[in-house]
Amino acid sequence: MGVLLLVGTRKGLFLIRGDDERRSFEVEGPLLPGWEVKHAIADPRDGSLYACANSWVYGGTVQRSTDMGKTWVRSEGLGLPEDSELKLASTWHLEPGHASQPGTLWLGGEPGVLFRTDDSGASWQVNEALLGHATRDRWSPGAGGLITHSITLDRDDPQLLWIGISAAGVFRSEDGGGSWQPRNQGTEACFFPEDRFPELGQCVHKVLAHPGRPGRLWQQNHCGVYRSDDGGDSWEALHQNGLPSEFGFGIALDPADPDTAFVVPEEGAENRVTCDGRLGIYRTTDAGESWELIVAEEPAWAAVLREGMSFDAEAVYVGAQSGHLYALRHGEVVRATEHLPPILSVEAAPLQ
Amino acid sequence: MAVVLLPGLLATESGGQKRFEVEATTVGEALCALPVGDLVLDEHGELRSLVHVYVDGERTLDLAASVSATTQIRIVAAIAGG
Repeated sequence: MGVLLLVGTRKGLFLIRGDDERRSFEVEGPLLPGWEVKHAIADPRDGSLYACANSWVYGGTVQRSTDMGKTWVRSEGLGLPEDSELKLASTWHLEPGHASQPGTLWLGGEPGVLFRTDDSGASWQVNEALLGHATRDRWSPGAGGLITHSITLDRDDPQLLWIGISAAGVFRSEDGGGSWQPRNQGTEACFFPEDRFPELGQCVHKVLAHPGRPGRLWQQNHCGVYRSDDGGDSWEALHQNGLPSEFGFGIALDPADPDTAFVVPEEGAENRVTCDGRLGIYRTTDAGESWELIVAEEPAWAAVLREGMSFDAEAVYVGAQSGHLYALRHGEVVRATEHLPPILSVEAAPLQ
Repeated sequence: MAVVLLPGLLATESGGQKRFEVEATTVGEALCALPVGDLVLDEHGELRSLVHVYVDGERTLDLAASVSATTQIRIVAAIAGG
């Protein structure tokens, strides 16, 4: 089966269709011209497209298309209650709800907020437990703002999910978002002068639950790459096992193998480009005990953002702010396209 | 009643329509009455900081300003971005 890649850019959304072998790609777009698309998905339950479409002028929106991007409908009433004294600054990440909950989706945004819809985006309800979280005054914005950028669901239990907020850390809910507990034990906040392993305040860049092994989470953090085998109760550092840097943004997985993961290390927080003058994708197949370098491009000083990596059963996809998009399949890298506007997000879906 | 003129992206979000006649007695009511009112005003009803509103050629921040049937309101997006 081919792949549909939804590529969000600074200048709209592109749909890129790849063949079965991931060797040939066709580009359609830009859709939603004039909007900065921080993330877009194809809902596997009904095929609808959803986009976090943002504007410097007009704020953050969610747009839905039921005709593969020909027309879009903007969600109404998306915002924060006045008594919160907060305003929605931008929309960052969309996540389809559990397979047993058609019409349900989650939305992360700035400033560190979460929404849920149960009517396919016609209306959104803010998550009050996160909005009023007792630790909110200890959260600090990262370079992208105080953003809820990761939302990842347990395969089996619709009440169990994790979110990542920069820079507040990973939070877990066991009651469908009714309450949230920090889950950062073992992850470092290397930018703090003293207590470097606090309860929260870590700068998680992306957290993903493996779809095939309940309880296994992978995390690319500002200060390292981590794996958890107990649903986030504890984390093990993996970045001293052959990675050139602890810093990076995205992480991709192999749905068939919970021990495999892919990262794109960058030099560090003060120089956010890929290491060693090349776009290197590092792969582990032993749960992070060791990492293998796969060179996608050289020379290159690329910058891959937190939503800039995606995967399916066949390949891993990496989009850079240079506008280059790569597909990595069986250790071979194909340049899928180039000269797109700066790529903010990549999401893979089956090509229907 | 007032006439409201929209810039390109707001017109696209309004189904391609650039000119609206809306029932309103104030600038704020006129903006709220637009199908893109949520893009012009934030969730607390305040004018977004990079949206500029001109009433009969004069820029205003006063959403309570009165409008009449002959009032023309033009929305202009501030120069921003890259």
